[in-house]
Amino acid sequence: MVKMSLDPVQVKELNVSPSPNGDSRASWEEEEVEEEEEDRLGIATKTKPPKPENAVTVAVSSRVLFRTELEQRVFEQKGVEEYLRYQIEHENEPFAPGPAFPFVKALETVNARLRELYPQSEELFDIVLVTYNHAHVGIRLINTINHHNLFIERFCMTGGSSPIGYLKAWQTNLYLSADADKVREALAEGIAAATMFMTEKLTEVSESQLRVAFDGDAVLFSDESERIFKAHGLDKFFQHEQDNEDTLLDHGPLKGFLEALGKLQKKFYAKGQRLDCPIRTYLVTARSAASSGIRALKTLRAWGLEIDEALFLAGAPKGPMLEKIRPHIYFDDQMFHVEGAAEMGTVAAHVPYGVAQKHNQPQKPGARK
Amino acid sequence: MKDADRALVVAVTTRAVFDAAAGDVYGMGVAFPLLQSLQKVNERLLEKNPAESLLFDVVLIATDSQQQSSRIISSTSHYGLEVGRFCFSSREDLVETLVVNNVQLFLSTDRDEALQVSQKGVLSALLGRQEAPSESLRVMLCGDAIVRPDCDPVPASRGAAQSFSARLGEMRGRFGVSGSPLSIVLVTSSGGSKSCGVALQTLRSRGLSVDEAYCLAGAPRGPILSLLRPHFLLGDGVIDLED
Repeated sequence: MVKMSLDPVQVKELNVSPSPNGDSRASWEEEEVEEEEEDRLGIATKTKPPKPENAVTVAVSSRVLFRTELEQRVFEQKGVEEYLRYQIEHENEPFAPGPAFPFVKALETVNARLRELYPQSEELFDIVLVTYNHAHVGIRLINTINHHNLFIERFCMTGGSSPIGYLKAWQTNLYLSADADKVREALAEGIAAATMFMTEKLTEVSESQLRVAFDGDAVLFSDESERIFKAHGLDKFFQHEQDNEDTLLDHGPLKGFLEALGKLQKKFYAKGQRLDCPIRTYLVTARSAASSGIRALKTLRAWGLEIDEALFLAGAPKGPMLEKIRPHIYFDDQMFHVEGAAEMGTVAAHVPYGVAQKHNQPQKPGARK
Repeated sequence: MKDADRALVVAVTTRAVFDAAAGDVYGMGVAFPLLQSLQKVNERLLEKNPAESLLFDVVLIATDSQQQSSRIISSTSHYGLEVGRFCFSSREDLVETLVVNNVQLFLSTDRDEALQVSQKGVLSALLGRQEAPSESLRVMLCGDAIVRPDCDPVPASRGAAQSFSARLGEMRGRFGVSGSPLSIVLVTSSGGSKSCGVALQTLRSRGLSVDEAYCLAGAPRGPILSLLRPHFLLGDGVIDLED
């Protein structure tokens, strides 16, 4: 049984109704209307991408933005030359949307709203395609971007060398890739990053509101508490959290991204759009509200970070809760939770950080934290 | 001397190759890594086909009266550099020397010199700085001039640029996707992904396949250039690689 204790200060009632997901995931069989495309071109030439230092830069790899499993198989089975030949042969066939696609579309929705309110501002999301694909695949990728009406004007195709340097040069705030090694490299360089996986089941997500959910420990916060839990067990964990209730937790790899989201949220609040804000953030943690959750909330407050909803599951599975929230992306450091979320149709991204990476056994459901 | 019709003649000033130093042998200059890379490409081409005629033919041009011809030649042999020809010319006669020697690409560290040459119709480029030796010859092409030829700052050398890139493409085609001693890098500074796509397709139609592509869409070029570390940059009139 899922028991959710209510903290009188932060936890709000969940009143989420998923909206139908019409065109945010365009099927690649859809024909593009001629006029729409011209209009799209018109918009594209009028709006320039923001300078990297002003923008919240989200770098995505081609394998998470689009579905490329078939091509991946060609690469693995037949080698790079055959893979490139295949890509060029199929150049005019756009890829289908991948796990990061709805998230990227939602970022663009936020941008549209920001531009309405602040036409001169460069504080927007900037989506950059960073792939170590060869430039031979470039034309197919660009055709796909155009087909899906994505506003991605910047990209790096590194032809095999590491994209990490370019992530830093673009002042990347978040990097999403299918390659766990690249993600680890990015994390080591201080860049928020997570690995994404394709799932067959995908629940519909909102087209008008970007929803981003985060795990607490080892994602927003450091893994210090998880270390204690894993080394000494639940009781020691509770004791430690209680003793240190007023000590701030150290920050985790995704804290900066939450901060960036918060800055954009404030721009909407400043124009009286708090209720209608197209960005919503969630904390989904195995901590329990009455005890260990307090330290998490105090830390967030001390950091000046607002999170719209904090959900304390006290060890219960996260899948059902996430299915209600319908975030465009959910960050967790444990594959167990990532997989659990995916089973219920939530796009979950793995943050390979902290002590959990050394433990491969799934937690027993119902373990209270 | 290499087959005159088929070789890609690249001229470099001695001022760029050698640093003035005391003693019999000059120090290594900015263009040194470039020459080594050109040599490496030739070696690999000949490995594949000992009868290969599409090779780089390096011409060293001395316009600096400060550098002595004998020391230039002895330094060249000291470092084992493969140089097809030495030309001892003057600043005034530079362009004529290049034309007479059928130079298809002139490389310099001197911006004014390079600009002057390109305005006379000889393809010219500034040399990039290489702190560490590179595994391959990295040639950067600026896509903006390819996409909008009307905005080409140096229209005089456009024809030369197109034929050079076609030959370069042919040379690149001798090698596979990985492990090539020659890498072609496309950078578009302004314009979005659509215009980069146009550049890729235009180059492909000229027979030049690109290995890496970077579309900056207005972002500052400096940080990316310092990562890419090209040996030289083509197709943007003459720009300063330090920008």
